[in-house]
Amino acid sequence: MITENCSNMVDISISKDVLVIGAGSFGLQAAGQIAAQGYKVSVIGAKTACARQSGCTSEMLEKGGVNIMQDVSIEALAGVVGDFRATLTKNNEKVESIFGAVVVAPQYSYSPLNAKYGLTLNDKVMTLSQFEAIISSDSEKMKAIQNGGEGGAGANVAFLMGFAQEGEPLLTGRVLKGALAVQNMKGCKAYIYAGNVKVGANGLERLFTQGRHAGVVCFKPSETPKVQQGTDLLKITIKDPVVRSDVELTPDFIVVEEGLVVDKQNLDLCAKLRVDTDLDGFLPSNNVHRFPAKSNRDGIFVVNSSLDATNAALRVKELIGDGTKKVVADRAKVDENLCVICLTCYRSCPHGAIFWQNGAAAISPAACQGCGICASECPMDAIQLGEFTDESLRANIKDAVVSAQATQKDAKSEPTIVAFCCKNSALEAFESAKLFGHEMPVGFKIVKVPCAGKVDVEFIMKAFVDGADGVMVAACHEGNCKAERGNTYAKWRVNEIQKRLELMGFGKNKLTFTTIASNMAKEFACKVNDFAKSLEG
Amino acid sequence: MNSQSQKVLVLGGGIAGLTAAWELSRQNISVELVEKSCFLGGHSIGFTCKATDRCQQCGACSVEEMLKNVVNEPLINVHLKTELKGLNKADSSYKITLQKSDIDLPVAQITQRANGKAAKGFSKHNNPLYVTESDKNNMGSQCEVDVDALIVATGYSPFDPNRKSTYGYGKWANVITGLDLENIIRENGALVRPSDGQKPAKVAFIQCVGSRDERLGNLWCSEVCCPYAMRMAGSVKHDNPDAQITMFYIDIQNTAKEFPVFYEKIKQNIRFVRTIPVDIYPLENNCLELRHMAEDEGAPSSESFDLVVLSVGIMPGKDTGKISEITAIPINQDGFFDSTSSDLGCFVAGTAKGPGSIATTMADAGKTAFEAMRYLGVMK
Repeated sequence: MITENCSNMVDISISKDVLVIGAGSFGLQAAGQIAAQGYKVSVIGAKTACARQSGCTSEMLEKGGVNIMQDVSIEALAGVVGDFRATLTKNNEKVESIFGAVVVAPQYSYSPLNAKYGLTLNDKVMTLSQFEAIISSDSEKMKAIQNGGEGGAGANVAFLMGFAQEGEPLLTGRVLKGALAVQNMKGCKAYIYAGNVKVGANGLERLFTQGRHAGVVCFKPSETPKVQQGTDLLKITIKDPVVRSDVELTPDFIVVEEGLVVDKQNLDLCAKLRVDTDLDGFLPSNNVHRFPAKSNRDGIFVVNSSLDATNAALRVKELIGDGTKKVVADRAKVDENLCVICLTCYRSCPHGAIFWQNGAAAISPAACQGCGICASECPMDAIQLGEFTDESLRANIKDAVVSAQATQKDAKSEPTIVAFCCKNSALEAFESAKLFGHEMPVGFKIVKVPCAGKVDVEFIMKAFVDGADGVMVAACHEGNCKAERGNTYAKWRVNEIQKRLELMGFGKNKLTFTTIASNMAKEFACKVNDFAKSLEG
Repeated sequence: MNSQSQKVLVLGGGIAGLTAAWELSRQNISVELVEKSCFLGGHSIGFTCKATDRCQQCGACSVEEMLKNVVNEPLINVHLKTELKGLNKADSSYKITLQKSDIDLPVAQITQRANGKAAKGFSKHNNPLYVTESDKNNMGSQCEVDVDALIVATGYSPFDPNRKSTYGYGKWANVITGLDLENIIRENGALVRPSDGQKPAKVAFIQCVGSRDERLGNLWCSEVCCPYAMRMAGSVKHDNPDAQITMFYIDIQNTAKEFPVFYEKIKQNIRFVRTIPVDIYPLENNCLELRHMAEDEGAPSSESFDLVVLSVGIMPGKDTGKISEITAIPINQDGFFDSTSSDLGCFVAGTAKGPGSIATTMADAGKTAFEAMRYLGVMK
């Protein structure tokens, strides 16, 4: 794959083929926008939207720019960005294909939430999807709503939302539209029972107001409404805080909310692609550095909206370009003579950049982000970073201690403190604090690290041995690490050393772990000053 | 068209303009980035990190990072304290006239320097870091530039809390806006009361100040204020666990991902009261009495607080009308720019079109840059 070597940059070739997993409207939109850039796109998964309406042109669809393969699924994904090796299956037949980038467009399904209200679905109690299908048709069921009220008049329809789940604007928009449609039918009346009305999206507050003006009644009880479902009778009871009594309604129909569910299919996909999910199980993980459309793996994008799809197309174009890309050759290198293939690096790499080659671990220069977690975790010390070698870090630690001591001309009056600062967060905060003149102790010096995940146990101990009175490890907040878990590794190591310091009778308070963001200059200075004070006291 | 010779003017150096400019430069397009104030970064560069022990995904650090990208990108040429004066469309390009803008230094950013009072640029990536009154008078570009397309990213104006006179903003020291709160934390490293510099024990957030207000004709939800206030409240509570925080609201709006988990956790720390307070009166020690309808009794009630934060909404930018006249970009019924894209080479990105968070604004700016590049033939 590597074709040329000039200084420490190398040209790598990137496959111009792109795999899109998920043939819904966002997946197809991304496919169209990527194919327009001249890349060949394969789309797999059941088609749930019209390719042309989603932006794929006839030319793309006919000439193979976008190849939609509905009955193909992905079994495994090996390789790295620029050179992903996907095992695709069709009728138990396996094919391996190479892709430069992968776009995942997860398809979520809606699940009815009637059970949470104690309701059974029937002709009178329906889900929002069922209701939407009915009112966009001219069926008997539609007539039942139009004439379903007392004495053949229009029906009363009650909508329930926001009690079985918090809900979101998309659901709210559907309910508001549905309620307005009912209210606009002759003699019909719409009632909405809502938890929080999620109007936080374009046009929804206006729609909500429009509905109320048209006569839609909205109740927002503080507790879930009590719903009774008898053979001939539906009854909803809520407590009204203003009149301080129960308010009852006997609607002819109840429309009950639905919720997006995490399906196993998406979770399986995440495992195959080694893409992290968020706390709710949806793709991708929640990390501001990945917005929009990026995942924890370079070259794998996740699109959950139309905006995401366009942004994924931008990122794919930037990544693939004309098919070659310059990357840093020695971000991280494995010493093959030391590697015992224990798999520690493979397991700890958050970017999926490590594989095997010639009986040793190898690190892809294309996928490696240079965080150094693998280098710190490797029990054989077989991995070195190009820019942050162990040797240079040791020298920097020594320099930091020496210069911290040198700044205190007289008898040592203030503690010598060395802080390991992640270049993405703490280093920026430190530099800002200096520039904006926030005071920090004279004996305070920093050591720049690519990620807190590269702060070895050995480095912390070395700082003490060299003469530091206090050591600080300053990382990104949990959930904000560009290497996903670099901060977590650092925290574990600090906890471990604190235990050892305690056992040695050295006191664990000489070592502290803190989290900070790049824009927290003042807070950074405060934290350092507090730490210095704690060392003096 | 050769992409190297192509140039786009981006009007507005907030997070939308920064992102659009950077995305264009990724595809080798030159950018003239025009900002009317003395600093890049817009409102959001002054926002504070709202992390507890965990990142709350507010996006403030992404603005810092995007600003760093932009100031280090040679293809982006920045004009500070400059505004759009005129625009002429000639064939497929625009001749744009720029002039020095006439703006006051932002009061919230004023700080004492050795050479007198100066406004502070919040980020170390801003150059200059400080601007005095006399510096200001020397800043600004007066020139003509030829560009192939224009992206308007002029952002929003926060709702003027003086229009809700019963809340006494500007009259009572400890009634502040959400933006004031951001600046206080950036300046002090923690939330302190303007009146005495002490950490407040009881804090109220009032939501929907200016938003969702039919009487004002503001029929939109500002989308960001609930997430903002909840994240902020969580962060303040983390910093000062003794603080009692109450949020007065109409309907709680979601943060982006992981809202159910986030909301369950925040409900354990923050008291939520579903009503919008009527008015605020001063008490001794600069405390405040807040009157509202009690949620459970339907009767008037009142409660005292040390600090009241008004979650002011997102309103159309003050210059929207003027820019619309120059560019002929239409304005919608709410006073924001119309979101429909143009085939004439004039595009709009970010909150100039309506409310949005940092994350959605960045995504929208990416999309707008994509559309502009499609217009230029750089993207297909």
